[in-house]
Amino acid sequence: MAQFRLQGSKVLAVDLAGESVKARNGAMIAYDGRMDFKKLTGGGEGLRGMVTRRLTGEQMEMMEVRGEGTCWFADRATEINLVPLRGEKLHVEASNLLAADAGLRTGTVFTGLRGASQGNGLFTTVVEGTGQAAITSDGPAVVLRVAPGHPLRVDPGAYVAHTGKLRQELQTGVTFRTVIGEGSGEAFQIRFEGEGLVWVQPSERNTVGGQL
Amino acid sequence: MTGPVVYDPQTLPADDNVDAYTFCVALDGQWFLQKGKMIAYYGEITFDGVGHGRLDRLVAGSFHSPLHAADWVVAEGRGRMLLADRAFDVNSFDLEDGNLTIRSGNLLAFQPGLSLKQSIIPGFLTLIGTGKFVAASNGPVVFVEPPIRVDPQALVGWADCPSPCHHYDHGYLRGVLGGVRALTGIGGASGEEHQFEFTGAGQVLLQSTEQLLDERATGGVPGEPGVPGGGHRAGPSGAPGTPGGPQSPGGLGGLQRRFGL
Repeated sequence: MAQFRLQGSKVLAVDLAGESVKARNGAMIAYDGRMDFKKLTGGGEGLRGMVTRRLTGEQMEMMEVRGEGTCWFADRATEINLVPLRGEKLHVEASNLLAADAGLRTGTVFTGLRGASQGNGLFTTVVEGTGQAAITSDGPAVVLRVAPGHPLRVDPGAYVAHTGKLRQELQTGVTFRTVIGEGSGEAFQIRFEGEGLVWVQPSERNTVGGQL
Repeated sequence: MTGPVVYDPQTLPADDNVDAYTFCVALDGQWFLQKGKMIAYYGEITFDGVGHGRLDRLVAGSFHSPLHAADWVVAEGRGRMLLADRAFDVNSFDLEDGNLTIRSGNLLAFQPGLSLKQSIIPGFLTLIGTGKFVAASNGPVVFVEPPIRVDPQALVGWADCPSPCHHYDHGYLRGVLGGVRALTGIGGASGEEHQFEFTGAGQVLLQSTEQLLDERATGGVPGEPGVPGGGHRAGPSGAPGTPGGPQSPGGLGGLQRRFGL
């Protein structure tokens, strides 16, 4: 299995011995040894996945890297977080997924209103299987545990990814004050309930709800 | 394969940094936040814009100025709340019956024990009282004691000492040649000819880059004579023909006036 390790916090090094990894197109910054880069049409999800991604707007340009040696990946000096998966499902925005073990399956899933409030569309990417994935965040992500009786609310602009069995719902605090321009700036939150982990980044994307 | 460090409501620090970029507030009561700086929370917390209904009294008690209250939010309830600002460094500071003046874009949140006022220096806010506040900076904050001269872009704020004054590098700007240099940059300018000068006893807070955080509107001031930035210009500097603003020593402004140019 490909070995993922972080070199500093902004560069991902992957040691390969004949296996392959999936990575975002163009994320390679250097490699050592012999590597082959192959564009995965439709993110390696086959024709059906390709059509789904085209239809849902959850675009993901991935490449397959195969070879022997070490390959380094980075993305605009954003922080990289390693997520080990043992059969769980990782939900992540396509724009935050940097690399994943070739053994992991990726796909798209409908998220409903939450996605729209994040400014990321109505669909999100799912990574499933056993292996490691690398996700990027603006500033080092904080990992928060959600347990029964301890629901977590997250600002949609700061949400990066989550794993585990979590129910999520969009919670709004829009009142007449928001309408008259005296809102709290925290009008929309995602409420996570159940059991799992949530990755939150220390900055906020610009979202529709962020100004309300 | 080792997993990441995972936090839950029990392991999150109380009123302390989670990492250099994220601050956790153990909320039991009220805190004031700048709009949109909360990234996640556990527990039951409500967020309300300041300045209406039952929160009207808070404006009187903690803000002293209804003009910039619209940018602030009251978080009320019990739980753990995470604050962050555009992936900048965040730090908390304690004030004990003291005062601190800070650049408006750097202040993230503060306890109601403190009251927030506009500084008479445009773009700065002053906190007075006892309590904790959270500030963001580009790179870690460095504390230094006056007397000191600091670069304007590196200044985050100051506590307990008198407000700073401008300092110009005189040896460099003196004479006609110096004036030409200052005006045109010919002959080389180091970019460090102008500083803020602090004197007295207290602390000066500096950030480790010269990149500024976006300024937040601090609200207008009453347009009265004698109020800096109040829109009233007093004295001869407002006379027609001479542009306002400071004049560098050795500049041509004086000559122009003298010869009626």
